[in-house]
Amino acid sequence: MDSFFTRYRNLLVLLVLLAAQIIGLAVQVRRTDSGRSSYDIADGPGVRLIRLWANALVTPAERLIHDAKLGVGNLWTGYLDLRHVHDQNQDLQKTIDRLRLEQASMLEDAKQGQRLQALLGFQEKYIYKTVVAQAIGTSGSNQSRVFYLDKGKDAGLEPDMAVITADGIVGKVREVFPHSAQVLAINDQSSGAGVILETTRIRGILRGNAAGQPQVVGVMADPRIKPGEKVLTAGGDQIFPRGLPVGVVEKVVRDPDRDSFIDVIVKPAAYLDRLDEVLVITSTEPRFSAEQDQDVATSEALKGAEAAAIKEQQKASQIMAERLPGLTDPNAPAAGAQATGKPGEPGTASAVATPVAAPPTPKLLPAQHVDRYSPGLAPATVPASDAKPQPRQQNAAPAGQAKQAPAKTAPKPGDPAKPRRTQ
Amino acid sequence: MTVLGLSNRRELEVRRYPILIYALVPLTALVLQAWLPRLLHGYGWFDLPLVVTVYFALGRRNPVQGTLMGAGMGLFEDALTHHAIGVNGIAKTVAGFLAASVGVRIDVENHTIRLTLNFLLSLVCSGIYLFINRILLGLDLEWSWVTELLKAVGNSVIAAVLFPLLDRAQIRD
Repeated sequence: MDSFFTRYRNLLVLLVLLAAQIIGLAVQVRRTDSGRSSYDIADGPGVRLIRLWANALVTPAERLIHDAKLGVGNLWTGYLDLRHVHDQNQDLQKTIDRLRLEQASMLEDAKQGQRLQALLGFQEKYIYKTVVAQAIGTSGSNQSRVFYLDKGKDAGLEPDMAVITADGIVGKVREVFPHSAQVLAINDQSSGAGVILETTRIRGILRGNAAGQPQVVGVMADPRIKPGEKVLTAGGDQIFPRGLPVGVVEKVVRDPDRDSFIDVIVKPAAYLDRLDEVLVITSTEPRFSAEQDQDVATSEALKGAEAAAIKEQQKASQIMAERLPGLTDPNAPAAGAQATGKPGEPGTASAVATPVAAPPTPKLLPAQHVDRYSPGLAPATVPASDAKPQPRQQNAAPAGQAKQAPAKTAPKPGDPAKPRRTQ
Repeated sequence: MTVLGLSNRRELEVRRYPILIYALVPLTALVLQAWLPRLLHGYGWFDLPLVVTVYFALGRRNPVQGTLMGAGMGLFEDALTHHAIGVNGIAKTVAGFLAASVGVRIDVENHTIRLTLNFLLSLVCSGIYLFINRILLGLDLEWSWVTELLKAVGNSVIAAVLFPLLDRAQIRD
């Protein structure tokens, strides 16, 4: 007996290890009602413990490497490579100002939408609170598209929280450890997110394929679905808020298993292969957060200030228009004349200085050349002196001098108004 | 390929390494396997834990040690995924056992033989992984053999660099 174990020791060790692992697998996989097998969504306590140990061993090293990489990167970008930072800062400030104004108007619409939804008894949930986290590692397997975050239970993360970037959705939190969390990306084969095609309003479930591309599955063949159409979250999965960008349709392929169905391959909006910083939505509420409200207030204040500035500018322009003689048409009828019902009476110089309540009439500048093209205007009406080429200084003459010249060409009362070229 | 007779097996040199190498190399392989794909933006066609398992199994020429090492590495890899724990474990257990068993019979000093073995064992591992998922567990798993082939090539390239480096770390009498 002893010699049997000694002789077949290698093979026995192999068999024992294989048997133990196969039994372990059998415990973790279950049959669904549809007769298919699937992994248990929630790990058992034993499995979770193994994952916790593995995570505790790998995460500190990953965090160290990631921090070192970030440190070197920050040293370069923050201290050494500072060219164009001032210009970029100014551009960003302008962008912030513009976005604030846009946000103010959009949030007003959203508030109105909230009020209407409240009337209808339906409440949309908004992103209320987020936690910024860094992606520090992956599963290391092409078959398992998960990645790890440097924030965990200590930062308030919970399973099934949505993970997004500014570009679009990324995945959902699957497992939470004390100081890290595992995120299931949207391009994993076992992921699932409710999505809707923006134009055609076709709904479907998003999951990954073998090549790591997200695809909308279970969609009836529809010729309206074209590449380039936007894909958004539908909001029905209780994980992702409605309307977040998912990506755009890349191509449509036939479902290999079902004839009348298609798979819509989606080009993700977020760069799933090069994630660095992500946002975990830790809370959604049917109202805006304090930060958002503050943003609205700031935007409103900015909008008010901008409106006041524009008004002030308009007022200054009006005053300038009234005071600068060159900007007022000397031929325009005086305000008093209009009020007294004497249209067509030429104004005098004194009338220019009189403040007028009516908006200033655009002044037709005197013609520099003979108008030979306007029908009904004889060249003889233009004085001979005007027909001669004028010296350049006359063009650049002060407004006061230039004002008197057009008196020669001013239409007489009763003359029909003729269009003049203002070259 | 030099095939050795039974009498020569015990005469083969069993490689020994400092304890730190045994501890740090597998751990580093596991950490890098988890971290490098982020840096390579999805082009992580390699399996460092398998390369390390094959290296030590071939060098130690002990099937039990190779089997245990393969099982440990595979289970650790499984623990980092969201899949059931044991799929990679079984695949690498078999790979470790095969590598060590072959190491007893074949002259593994030859670098070409080691790289070829690495390539073949990568494909064997992929086949076992697919078999377990589709047949044993009955899971729907989309599969791309092209990716697995690229992974096997990647493993061979890494082995071509890593094996000579690790050879230098062995304890020589």
